[in-house]
Amino acid sequence: MTVAVGRSVARSDGEAKVRGVADYGVDVVLPGMCHGALWRAPVPSARVVSIDAEAARRVPGVLAVLTGADVENRPTGISLCDQPLFAWPLVRYEGEPVAAVAAETVEALEESLGLLRVELAETPAVADLASALAPDAPLVHPDWASYASLSGAQWPRERNVVCELFSDTGGVDQAFSSAAHVVEDTYRADRQYQASLEPHVAVAEYGAGRFTLHVAHQFPFNVRDRVASALGVRPSEVRVVGHHIGGGFGAKLDVSLEPYAALLARAVGRPVRMENGRSEDLMTAQCRENAVVTIRSALSESGELLACDFDVVFDSGAYAIDAPYLASMPMFAVGSIYRVGQARVRCRAVYTNSSPTGAFRGVSGTYLVFAVERHLDHIARELGLDRRELRLRHLRRSGEKMLNGQTLADADILRECFDRAEELAPFSSLGKGPYRGVGMAACVWLTNPLAGSAVVKLNEDGTVGLVTAATDNGSGAVTMGLRQIAAEELGVDALDVVISMPDTDVSGYDAGSQGSRTTRVVGMAVKAAAERVRERALAVAADHLEISPADLELAAGSVQVRGAPSRRLQLAEVAKLAAAHGGPITGAGSYSTPMPAYAPTCATGLLFPVFPTPTYHLHVAEVEVDPSTGNVRVLRYIVVQEVGRVVNPTGVVGQIQGGVAQGLGYALWEWLALEGGRYRQRTFESYGLPLSVDVPRVEVVTLEHPDPESPYGAKGVAEPPVVPVAAAVANAVSDAIGAEINCIPILPEAVLDALASQDGAGARGVHLSRGGAGAEAGGA
Amino acid sequence: MMAPVAEFRSACSTEEAVTWLAELGADGCVLAGGTDVMMQYARHELGPAAFVHIEGIEELAGVGRDGVVRIGALVTHRRLAEDAALRTSNPALADAAATVGGWQTQSVGTLGGNLCNGSPAADSAPPLLVADATVELQSRAGIRRVPLEEFFLGRRRVDRRPEELLTAVEVEPLGSRQAEVYLKVGRRGAMVVAVVGLAARLSFDARGAIAAARVALCSAAPTPLRVRSVEQALVGLDAALPGWQDATSPSLRDGIDALMHAVSPIGDLRSSEAYRRAVLPGLLARAIEICRARAGVGVPEG
Ligand SMILES: Cc1cc2nc3c(=O)[nH]c(=O)nc-3n(C[C@H](O)[C@H](O)[C@H](O)COP(=O)(O)OP(=O)(O)OC[C@H]3O[C@@H](n4cnc5c(N)ncnc54)[C@H](O)[C@@H]3O)c2cc1C
Repeated sequence: MTVAVGRSVARSDGEAKVRGVADYGVDVVLPGMCHGALWRAPVPSARVVSIDAEAARRVPGVLAVLTGADVENRPTGISLCDQPLFAWPLVRYEGEPVAAVAAETVEALEESLGLLRVELAETPAVADLASALAPDAPLVHPDWASYASLSGAQWPRERNVVCELFSDTGGVDQAFSSAAHVVEDTYRADRQYQASLEPHVAVAEYGAGRFTLHVAHQFPFNVRDRVASALGVRPSEVRVVGHHIGGGFGAKLDVSLEPYAALLARAVGRPVRMENGRSEDLMTAQCRENAVVTIRSALSESGELLACDFDVVFDSGAYAIDAPYLASMPMFAVGSIYRVGQARVRCRAVYTNSSPTGAFRGVSGTYLVFAVERHLDHIARELGLDRRELRLRHLRRSGEKMLNGQTLADADILRECFDRAEELAPFSSLGKGPYRGVGMAACVWLTNPLAGSAVVKLNEDGTVGLVTAATDNGSGAVTMGLRQIAAEELGVDALDVVISMPDTDVSGYDAGSQGSRTTRVVGMAVKAAAERVRERALAVAADHLEISPADLELAAGSVQVRGAPSRRLQLAEVAKLAAAHGGPITGAGSYSTPMPAYAPTCATGLLFPVFPTPTYHLHVAEVEVDPSTGNVRVLRYIVVQEVGRVVNPTGVVGQIQGGVAQGLGYALWEWLALEGGRYRQRTFESYGLPLSVDVPRVEVVTLEHPDPESPYGAKGVAEPPVVPVAAAVANAVSDAIGAEINCIPILPEAVLDALASQDGAGARGVHLSRGGAGAEAGGA
Repeated sequence: MMAPVAEFRSACSTEEAVTWLAELGADGCVLAGGTDVMMQYARHELGPAAFVHIEGIEELAGVGRDGVVRIGALVTHRRLAEDAALRTSNPALADAAATVGGWQTQSVGTLGGNLCNGSPAADSAPPLLVADATVELQSRAGIRRVPLEEFFLGRRRVDRRPEELLTAVEVEPLGSRQAEVYLKVGRRGAMVVAVVGLAARLSFDARGAIAAARVALCSAAPTPLRVRSVEQALVGLDAALPGWQDATSPSLRDGIDALMHAVSPIGDLRSSEAYRRAVLPGLLARAIEICRARAGVGVPEG
């Protein structure tokens, strides 16, 4: 029996957050602190002709004005080093920093920004994917060929294509030429904003040759490295201190304001605070990218998938950020869940003069799975096949390989996902009635393998200290999961595990809150560290009790004799004894997941080659479409998810519900449209997040196939629930109206257009759903 | 340059408020719940010398009944949505109020503010228009009464002089064999500004056919508007006949044609012009259906 793992242990930061006393990034105030802000380019493409900062500098209270002329402005990045600190001389996206100002007050700051004279000569913008790929397209980066990659790795890239992945099993064209059926579709997805309640914020100070940054960031060590490289100092000269994060969802993995805050702090010799306004945050958040996916499938007479030609073009925006890595994602969307026969995959990440895109929970998986699953439904419709049956016929089995050559040892879990969903609600029983429909979508997802570490110490009062730079971005991975693992190992109450906030000076390296890695990867480190503490505690107690350590166990905050629990030493006593006999008890642990084997020759441009610790997912959505308005209501939502082991039931269900809500927002309400490289939506008034009244109760089934390589068997949980949502919903909507919905978000207008085309010749019939409900947007 | 900070004056009586408004003229700005004003102020869209805060004026917060229903300018949307008597006398107004923003907006946003703000999307306007509302405007010079239909002059323009305070709105309660509804189109279940909104008040004859109709819209033209041509076309429509909602049924089609002629929607961030037009026919049909059900005429299942 476990004492902590598997239980709904409360999060350690819950009460402080509910009471409003938790210290978030936005709450940091330092003595002598002043304020900083950026002058951001108002156009997507221009040349900076001149900057006259005279008047801006003369505003009383202004402490510094910095531009590209005042700094080294070396290009840096997390994949390709293509991004300078300041637009100088080229402006490549609307919102790009042109100058940074520090002032005593926010008022002086605003006045100074208003007086900065920046002369820009606008140049033609590369406004969208198609124009970026045109042979005569202007280059977003005229110097693209000279850029170095961070790791030294090379990959295929040319002009506006920042990375091209290409993979071909061979035999694709032959399969198409002899196929009984060919089905082709093109899918489009717009961008999605992470929309964390806390915008980007950074407080920097500089003294004694070192920078200290106070952040609410998912990846403090990346802030350290990125600030160091942008400023040309050693990483160890930068200390990053983490605070509670008011939401990140990927937007707080790369740096944003931090390098500018550090620059200004050094320039003025005082702490500088910077915070994005909401529109500023939306416009520069590194949103989920827009993309176009074309799939062509060759099928046998009976509907066997023989070959697939899969082409993706996605928008990296003005800089590479992580796009070269994301270009590999199609390798895990095609041929991973369903056998597709021979496959050719091409994915191009493309520069445009728009805000750079980047990491967002589920990254490109959302629209890739949308494309794959919509395409399957379309095939089923074309060939008159049952949609579930078509999927089951092609479902991967354990031991089969994905396109990257990686073996899925446990893919039979997929079949279990389908069976469990069927038990809960038979697919053919859902979506009945006028304008109702049902859809399903499956995916495989990874648990990010990157390195983590922890130190566990036995405190002198018998509590346990856990020091790690792993960050809790709100998921509970640290405040529940890691605490529970330490408590379980040491037989203490989870409430008696005290966790540190991240601090790069204090903790070992941690690869940040990304890819559902914390519970599994850092959990392994915590477990290893706690094992050392346990060994030492047993040894110390054994000495004192004059008994073999093998006869001792840790339980209920004590070391006790097996079978005779009344013979025991409280952990507080053990800690004190240890101090006098060899020193305090601490243990350190480190871990990174070994990379699974794959076929390096399967593709070119494959920078993200494997999906370690895979998990399997099936989502089912039932919807009703309002035929008068085209609005979609989600009636029922079912998730079957493999999690390895449920460490905290409340946490697992919460993450799945949250992921689904975010996926529903992506599918139905959140719309971030580009026009000429600029965002049309810029506030929460026009960028509509889902509300509690819009999101149904999510029915969650967790499957537990413990991973022997994981702490208590736990695999990644929190990232993937967002991935298949748009696919399941779009399939359900298409089913409801009997027409293909191939764009994300599913705009009511598109639904009405599809309905009208169903009516033939565009007749505008009057659609009334039964009962007359639906158009009344009920308030609270 | 920073805008100078506005003076804040909180009035205790209508008398005091109109005195200040007369003194300030165009430099004054009435502040009720502030849900519109404070956003406009934050965006530097207005820079008054002084705010005249009126939320403390008790006499503007009441609901009275004397043949007509008299609703004080400070009555909030939440009150309109919840007040049992108002829900009976003016249910479409309650429908509309329940769709305004979210709970917080409804709790502080007022009817007077919604009208004086002059938004083409004001949710309370269509239900008030189908209730033949009249607004009462008071200044030191006296009281002026303006039919709501004439109050809206254009986008963000209403027939209110700077020195006038809107004190009340008078509306007709529902009569017998009448029913009304407000339908709002928006992408989410709450917190949406109307893509379009439609209110209908229908009178039925003994058989269940439409004897008289009033229809009004918001977000379909530069101002909220009554659509009299639609009203005329609907008279005689017998929604009890099977297949009435079929677009070939003469009256409904005439009503829809009239509707499409009467509107001049724009395309904006919330929706395209085409979409606004596309949803209107269905809304009109649904409004008729709901009114029939609410009036309890000719509905087999009740
Ligand atoms: C989040 C949010 C959501 C919203 N959603 C909706 C919605 O769904 N539908 C909708 O219609 N509106 C919506 N609004 C707008 C607003 O809430 C309403 O228009 C509300 O009724 C305004 O009332 P108020 O008391 O807050 O007005 P204020 O903001 O105080 O005033 C509005 C205008 O009217 C003037 N004014 C106010 N009272 C008087 C008076 N008695 N005499 C003379 N002039 C006066 C003011 O000077 C100002 O010009 C929303 C606002 C917000 C912030």
